Amino acid sequence: MLYSMALPGIVFFIMFRYIPLLGSVIAFQDYQILNGIFKSPWVGWANFEYIFRYPDFLNVLKNTILISTYQLLFGFPAPIILAVLLNEIRLMVFKRFLQTFFYLPHFLSWVIIAGLVFELLSLHGIVNSIRHLLGAEPILYMQKSEYFKGIVVASAIWRETGWSAIIYLAAIAGINPSLYEAATMDGAGKIRQIVSITLPSLIPTIMVLFLLKIGSFLELGFEQVYVFLTPMTNSTGDIIDTYVYRVGALGGQYSITTAIGLFQSVIGFILLWSFNKLSNKTTGQGLW
Amino acid sequence: MKTSFGERVFSSANYIILALLSLTMLFPIVHVAAISLSSKVAAEGRQVFLWPVDFNISAWKHILTRTDLWQSFGVNVFVTIVGTVVGLFLTCLLAYPLTKKAFVIRKIVLLAVILTMIFKPPMIPYFLVLKSYGFYNSMLALIIPSLIHVFNLMLVVTFFRQLPHELEEAAHMDGAHAYQILLQVVMPLSKPVLATVGLFMAVSYWNLFYHAVLFITDKKLYPLQLKLREFITESEGLVDIRVAGTLEYNTQTIESAAIIVATIPIILVYPFIQKYFVKGATLGSVKE
Repeated sequence: MLYSMALPGIVFFIMFRYIPLLGSVIAFQDYQILNGIFKSPWVGWANFEYIFRYPDFLNVLKNTILISTYQLLFGFPAPIILAVLLNEIRLMVFKRFLQTFFYLPHFLSWVIIAGLVFELLSLHGIVNSIRHLLGAEPILYMQKSEYFKGIVVASAIWRETGWSAIIYLAAIAGINPSLYEAATMDGAGKIRQIVSITLPSLIPTIMVLFLLKIGSFLELGFEQVYVFLTPMTNSTGDIIDTYVYRVGALGGQYSITTAIGLFQSVIGFILLWSFNKLSNKTTGQGLW
Repeated sequence: MKTSFGERVFSSANYIILALLSLTMLFPIVHVAAISLSSKVAAEGRQVFLWPVDFNISAWKHILTRTDLWQSFGVNVFVTIVGTVVGLFLTCLLAYPLTKKAFVIRKIVLLAVILTMIFKPPMIPYFLVLKSYGFYNSMLALIIPSLIHVFNLMLVVTFFRQLPHELEEAAHMDGAHAYQILLQVVMPLSKPVLATVGLFMAVSYWNLFYHAVLFITDKKLYPLQLKLREFITESEGLVDIRVAGTLEYNTQTIESAAIIVATIPIILVYPFIQKYFVKGATLGSVKE
């Protein structure tokens, strides 16, 4: 009886997660749509050799690494800082009020957020209105490639910081209050308490979330970048996910782009594995 | 307790900074809503800030009389309702055996399920395999692949585990089989977690984009996010240039109205469901 209950779920995971995963073998084939996986010829590592000599791929890889690095540098610490600051708000009504606003953007789709951003940064948008008041020339931000990475990172921070802070807030709530009492007795101020108690207590949570983040280092999320891209920003904005979609799914270059996708997953796994090892050695904490 | 001058400065600065930051979460939405309700002259003249200038509803009239937008709205409502109901049921159906010792393969199944979080199928094999199932340009592509989500499954499993076993045993004594126990005993006891997971699912179905971009090219099947994307990127085509001068709206006010139309359902339900979301997010983090 229990087996028949689990069956639909198990079939779901096999059909929609594992079979597509096994389908990655077409990265080692010259996949032809008419022959399918079983009859397409095998080509070994040829597709991988090809992508590394391919200027498009190297450019896309560079964009991906740069945006990912910015996300890690600016996006990762943001919820930690927000959680610590929110925790210092003593007025409960006010705190709940703040949290309601901070969580909201997480529930808006990227398409909606792109709409908001395009509007704010348009020729007649609010940012250019302010420039106009200051006597500066308007800038078409969304069509200038030099602003693209900044816009992607900033909008990701805007959307996710509040939501990600929830986990840190829960971790802070779990800190033994007597630590703070003792510190106050010893004359430690607020800042001192944050540095010496709150932040060290958060390290296990920070480590786990950092490892998860590292594991998907090259997976920026297709949706966000896709909805922000315009033909003018392709040169600096195109990342692996959007490139694979355009050249693979739309362009029919199935084998080459699967090789790129596989490369991306393998790098993610290697990073996860090595940082986990590093973390186990240095802090004694890890995902496994 | 006496607080030092430095503490008071820190504390008041903290209140002010967080209040301002939280308002930036709301500002873009209010601003765009104000533009959608302003005259095109005011919108082009960069006069609109947080309140409509030259109040005008012609952009809204135009948007709300577009049948293609309503069609997409209908697709969204259908997909969200069916996906959430079926997905919730399937998630429970798989979660229940995973909490039972009698289900001896539960550990292997659990591991296999969790592994799909690390090894995600690359886009192209995923696309090709699902296409071979006949999902191209079919509403099935919007519903079926998103039915069971690992994070949601783990929330339900965690909740089922801590339910008292006595009731189930009593039902078992009375001759109820596993399906009856799940439907009549376990699920009614699990309303809080079902509400949380159901809401997570409903929001992700409402905002669904990835599967739509991959599989839907038929405009009759466009969900709201794709329709909105079309409005934003092809906005020039929204207004007939030959009569543009005589109209009371322009692309800017129309786009703004469309963005708000897609946002309204989220904004309306958000205050009521916020507490469930937060509970779900922290439940998930405690598990880590």
